[in-house]
This record gives sequence, structure tokens and C-alpha cells, in this order.
Amino acid sequence: MTWHMDGGLATRYADGDLDATLAASVEAHLLACARCRGLLAPQAPRARLDRLWDEIAEAVDSPVPGPFERLLRLVGVRDHTARLLGAAYSLHLSWISAGALALLFAVLAARETTGWGLVGFLALAPIVPVAGVGLAYGRGADPAYEIGLAAPYSAFKVVLMRAAAVLVTSALPALVIGFALLGQSWTVAAWLLPALALTSLSLVLSRWFEPAHCALAVSILWLAGIAGTNLREPSLAMFSTVGQLGYLTITVVSGVLLVARRKEFS
Amino acid sequence: MSVVVEGLTKAYGRRGHALDGLSFTAGVGVNGLLGPNGAGKTTLIRLLATVLTPDGGTMRLLGRDPATERSAIRRRLGYLPQEPGYHRGFTVFEFVDYVAILKEMADRRARHDEVRRVIDAVGLADVSGKKIRALSGGMRRRVGIAQALLGEPELVLLDEPTAGLDPEERLRFRELISRIGENRTVILSTHQIEDVAALCARVVVLKDGRSAFEGTPKELRALAKGRTWLWEKKAGLLSWRTGEGVFRSIGDPPEGARLVEPTIEDAYLLLLGEGALAAAG
Repeated sequence: MTWHMDGGLATRYADGDLDATLAASVEAHLLACARCRGLLAPQAPRARLDRLWDEIAEAVDSPVPGPFERLLRLVGVRDHTARLLGAAYSLHLSWISAGALALLFAVLAARETTGWGLVGFLALAPIVPVAGVGLAYGRGADPAYEIGLAAPYSAFKVVLMRAAAVLVTSALPALVIGFALLGQSWTVAAWLLPALALTSLSLVLSRWFEPAHCALAVSILWLAGIAGTNLREPSLAMFSTVGQLGYLTITVVSGVLLVARRKEFS
Repeated sequence: MSVVVEGLTKAYGRRGHALDGLSFTAGVGVNGLLGPNGAGKTTLIRLLATVLTPDGGTMRLLGRDPATERSAIRRRLGYLPQEPGYHRGFTVFEFVDYVAILKEMADRRARHDEVRRVIDAVGLADVSGKKIRALSGGMRRRVGIAQALLGEPELVLLDEPTAGLDPEERLRFRELISRIGENRTVILSTHQIEDVAALCARVVVLKDGRSAFEGTPKELRALAKGRTWLWEKKAGLLSWRTGEGVFRSIGDPPEGARLVEPTIEDAYLLLLGEGALAAAG
């Protein structure tokens, strides 16, 4: 040990006024010299130390988010939005994969055994997002629902964000499965508007009933309609142009009702 | 007064009135809500939490009207429901962080600092990285309290926070709740009469959706003065044999009975009357 810090050097170091080379030299010395650490301690500004400790605590304590949250952040979703989405069961990877697998196996089975693959796919594809949205919020699906109700964050916003996320995460696998297994025709995307209509309708109904029950009710209604038009042979009557216009109307009307009644979600 | 309630009514369809013209006030300190099952305690707490809307009557919470200024009230409110649910796959930190987001704390660093502060305040700093599913019931309740403390709320609503806890945990909770009540209004709904005696500056006893008593625990106890006694025989509204072989009774004392100093429990039972005692029995 050939040198020690004096008061002036300690003050300049504590204030961050030293150039990088001299600061590095001082730090190397401080690691080995208790006397100089003692001289420096009273010089260090309290606010700066607190800030440093906060930064260390932030780096050490902050949990590593789950894979879905990480994925969301990766595509640019803000961290607090990612956490609100990550709390919904139907946005967990297990649920998303289960929905995609169920759809895949249903299409494979229907295609191989009966030749009704396209109708089966178009009938089932809208149910996956409807079920997901039904399980994304509400007393039965969100364990902290009651706590959330008493919080100032808009419940309507949470509902819409989760519904949109569920629609995206269930639509992507369904589109891939459809185009991969049932051909390149746009007919395989004919379930999109029905999915939007059923989802928005169940959201409107959830003003009065438990969201999961609403999802179940509109799904049964939908399947009954499909069954009714497919009694003898495969039919795409439910997906005709008139039908699609009907789904569009339901979607728009439901959207207007949702916005008009948004305060009731809180 | 942080809470002013006048003539509050709330009915649940055919089940009738949960609250039937309730009036009371509460200020800084711990305010106890006592009452038998079905007296309307949880309904009242949910109304104060702005989760329910009343059918009639008026409420002023923190000087504001919840009918028109709900969000402003919610920003200054902490709420622990009777059966708080937790996302069990979340860690303690993640869950409290989740609620902090719902409380509109958007800045990540500031929010995380606040999350660490409340977790530390309830003594869970060592397990903040643990999954909630791995915690004991008492620790989960503390997570519930931690989320209710986010953002330094001025009004804290705790619905049965000590139910089902062992005596050691309950004592820890008492210490925590008394600390919370030092500089803010705490409304504590509970079945634990000892908690009220130990913690509360004021107490409201609910009976059939109305306030049967409002005052200090000392004033409540005074209601049973001269109506609590020891005797050889069973008598009065309610009697039970003590360990010393005599009967401790409440109600109008017979001649020759030895009057004793009442407890808050004696006064509470007297207040509820025979009907409530029969229902409880």
C-alpha cells in the first residue's frame, strides 16, 4: 500500500467528479483498504446511496416473469399490461396449447373418419376463443376478482385487453391448423367473424351473468345452429355471405352495447 | 370523519334486507364491526369498498360520494375481502405487484419499491420470491394485508382478517393492524370479540342490518354492568359453568347472585338478545 486517499480525493470520488481511470484506481484501492473506506463513508451522499441500493434491490428482487409475460414484453407490450394479461388462466401457455391441440385432434379425427373436416373445424374454431374469454375474467375465473373490483383500474379495460389477447392467441394457431390441414382456400378462415360475434355477445351477456356461463350458453347456441344445418350432409350454410353479414352485425351491435355500458363492468 | 353512513339499505332479492337503515361514523384508528352471521357485516364492508352499490341511504367516504367519485375513493382505499383469492402460481412479489398495477401504479421502479415496502411491512420480505401456493394460511393473509396497504391508503377495510388463524398468528395480526390504524381509518369486521377489545377505539355492533350499538369498547362493556353474575344455579339469558363449578350468567340477576365485572363478550351477547343467542346455539 503506497498511498491513501485524502479528504479532497474522497469528496471528489463520492461526488462522481473523478475521471474513469482515476476512479478505477481509487476503487481498486478501496477494495483493499479499510482506512480509506472509513474516510469515504461519511462523504457519500445519502440520496445517491439510497438510489444505488434501490437499483441493487430492483435487480436482485424483481422476479423473472413467466414465459407468456416475457413473450409479450418481447413483442413490445408494456410490463404492467403483460402482468395483467399473464394473470388470466386462458392466457397461460398450457391453456393456449390445450386449445390448439384440441382443435388439431378434432380436425384430424373428423377429416380421417367422416370427411366432415372443414365443417367440424369451422364449428369448433370459434368456441376456443369464446371459452378462453369466458375464463379470462369474472368471479369464477379470476381469484383476485373482488380485490380488483375495489381497485381504481378500469375493469372494462382489463376485460377488453384480455379478450383481445385471447382472440389473438387462439386465432393464430387456428389459422395455421386450418390452412395447413384443410387447404389454402379462404373458406378455412370463415370462422373468424362467428368467433368475434360469439365472443362479443358473451361479453355483453357477462354484464348480467358469470362470464364462463355466458361463454357456455353462446357456444351451445352456436353448436345447435351448426347441428341444425348439418343434419344430413356437410353444409356451410352457417358460413354463407348472409351469415357472415349477420355475424358482423352482432359484433358491431355488441361492441356498441359494450362501450355504452362500460361503466357497469366496474 | 372518514366514513359517514346514514340510513343505508341493501337487499338481496328474496333473501330480504342485508342492511336496513344502518347509520354510523368512523374516523382515524381501528373501528370494529361486530355482529352474528348474517348481520350484514360483509355487505357493509363491500359497500364501503365500492364493490356494491346501496339501494338507499347515503355514504360519504373520505369526504366523497361513492356514487359519483368512485375512482377517486378507490385510489385512497385498501381492501382485504373476507375470502381473498390469490393467483397461486404468482410469487408473493408478483401478486402484490399485480394488485399494485390495478391500483394504477404504472411506473415500474416506483411500483416495485412500493411492493417491497408493503411486503416488508407485513414481515414477508424473506418469502417474497416464494409461490403463494407454498405459503401457510397465515402468510397468505399477510399477503392480503400487504396488498391492502399499497399506496398508503387512508381507509383500510379488513373483513375477518384473523378468521382461522392460530393464536400466535392472531397476535401478530393484532400488532400489525394496530400499527396500520395509527394514522389511518381501519374498519375491521370480525367475529373475534377479543380482537375488538384489544384493538378498537370504537365499535359498531350490527344486528339484523342495523346498528345496535356504536361507541367505545369501554361503553360497550358498561352495558353489561350489573347484569353479569355468578350463582350456583343456571339462570338468566345465558349461563355456563365455569371451571370453579359455579354458573356465570348474563341478564337480570336473581337475588343473592354475586355480581362480577363484565367483559365485552358479556355485553355483546346481552345486546344480541335471546333470539340471536338461540340462533347461535
